[in-house]
Amino acid sequence: MNGGDNQPDTPSPRSRGEGRGEGRSRRGLTAALLLILSVSMIATVSPAEIARRWEMFTRSVAGGTIAPGEGSGFWFDPAYAPFLEAVRARTPRDATIVVIAPPYPDVYTYEAAYQLAPRRVVPPDRESEATFVAAYRYQYRDVLNPDVIRIPNGALFRRR
Amino acid sequence: MTFVGAAFGVLAGALLAAVVGYAIVRLFAVGLGRPEMLAWSFATGLLVQAILFLVAVSLLPGRALVPVIALDAAIVVGSFVARRPRTLQPEPSPRVPEEGWGEGRRLVRVLLAIAGGAWLLFLVSALSEPMWSTDYLAVWGLKAKIIATTGHVPTRLFSDPALYWGHPEYPLLVSLSLAVLSLFSGWHDQALALFFPLCELATLAALYGFLARRVSVLSGAAAAALTAVCFPLYRSVNSGTAEIPFAFSLVLVSTAFLDALSDRSRAVLARLAVASLVCVSIKQEGTLFVLLVGAALLVRRRREGWAPLAAATMHALVLHLGRGPQTPRAFDFTFFEPIRWGELVSRLTKVLGHVLTADVIHSWLPLLAVVLLFAFTRHGLADPLLPLVLLQVLAYVVSFSMSAFDPIWAAGVLPRLTMSLFPNFTLVLCARLEQRRQESLRDERGRVESAVV
Repeated sequence: MNGGDNQPDTPSPRSRGEGRGEGRSRRGLTAALLLILSVSMIATVSPAEIARRWEMFTRSVAGGTIAPGEGSGFWFDPAYAPFLEAVRARTPRDATIVVIAPPYPDVYTYEAAYQLAPRRVVPPDRESEATFVAAYRYQYRDVLNPDVIRIPNGALFRRR
Repeated sequence: MTFVGAAFGVLAGALLAAVVGYAIVRLFAVGLGRPEMLAWSFATGLLVQAILFLVAVSLLPGRALVPVIALDAAIVVGSFVARRPRTLQPEPSPRVPEEGWGEGRRLVRVLLAIAGGAWLLFLVSALSEPMWSTDYLAVWGLKAKIIATTGHVPTRLFSDPALYWGHPEYPLLVSLSLAVLSLFSGWHDQALALFFPLCELATLAALYGFLARRVSVLSGAAAAALTAVCFPLYRSVNSGTAEIPFAFSLVLVSTAFLDALSDRSRAVLARLAVASLVCVSIKQEGTLFVLLVGAALLVRRRREGWAPLAAATMHALVLHLGRGPQTPRAFDFTFFEPIRWGELVSRLTKVLGHVLTADVIHSWLPLLAVVLLFAFTRHGLADPLLPLVLLQVLAYVVSFSMSAFDPIWAAGVLPRLTMSLFPNFTLVLCARLEQRRQESLRDERGRVESAVV
């Protein structure tokens, strides 16, 4: 078969003999099958999800902001968002930061690297390369060390 | 910057890319209609902007905007000064049979309205919040943000052990495109999501334009509508990943491939080369598809098959020179050693079992509909694509069994990967629809003539 050949097939005697009704029923069947295929894909859409996204979209257009913890990105732990935001606000762009957070799910690591970029985020076993250590869920209790900063849901340590 | 302001910035960047792309595409756009021209301009523009951005940041780190705009202006002026080369003579564009257009006009409008409505749904979905999918955070978005905020391409993206999970071996076009668009909007990871609905729009334009040119307006509209309602692909979680731009590039490669089967002009050869370059620059799977296309053309004794192979080789060489050798960490190539062949077969069996029990059974109804559609339609213009699409899926299955991780876990991404092939698949499917419709019209005409005699 030459796929580049767009010439219609020569009608066979049988196809010439096909009735108008048969042609229509074939087209109807084809349309029904396409409809099944389409509906099976449309069925993956959740109306509630669309409504939620429409509300966030219109709020953004009206000048509002979607806080990181409010969206889908921090589905695993919304409290992690303000922690990372505080680390970002208190560290220079060229800093290297160790982020101590739960290892699972791995999106803890990815969110830290993305939200803090272009800062370099390294794992705890590379602490010697870091200028800051950010400890998530660190139990902060009246520490007097000026190199320790209390931030939402954790603490930030400056390494010297 | 506000969301609306940043979104307009992204739109301005995308329009500029399309204008620059048009300045180049007009040199090899013989016979293309406006929708296809739009798609080709956008794709070519993305590629050109990424190259210009790399040149600009390597000379002036952190100050790429003005040099990129200046180089864009030079390209546009150069194109219009050079005009169209004499070697690319315009040729008659195959037109839509008038007989089908009149009776299907209302249906075409309905299908295009469905496509438009579905596109708007994805637009709202993609722009409703900052991009957030895991692959965006770990791979595409991370690289883009580091490049955009540092103003250059740091070598640590490819050499830092702390970023080993960020797939340094992946192609860079998606990340570079986001970085280029951020020149116009600042780094606004909600507004930058506009890039993905624009890629969808270009995909729909390419499908509609190609089928309207080669088959009929009705089949083009059907392909656009069917693709637009592919919500497993066009959904919020995929804005930020490479799937949607990849699907776009696959459609361009495929349409150029189908043109190359019947047209040996230099314009088609140029389109095939450009589309292949875009495709391999987006995802590694793109290299596989482009190699399949090249092989399919060479098997048919079409020397145009060298264009995709040359594009893949050139891209690999440039990446190798630019960032050094990179080892794909997702695969364990020791499975190729004879001592592990038995293990490989066992893993392949497990993956196939998982695909059959999880994916195929879960999607039995649409799969059955597709099988019946093939049974009730005759071969169409885009049928030569079908073996390539099936081979691509088969290659995914084999690659999961070679995964460095649990093969069943790896196979979990199969539905997402195969969805990128769906727009291509609609090309095959909708090209077959019109064959049946043309025959029906011919039959009716034959009956009328018989009755007159």
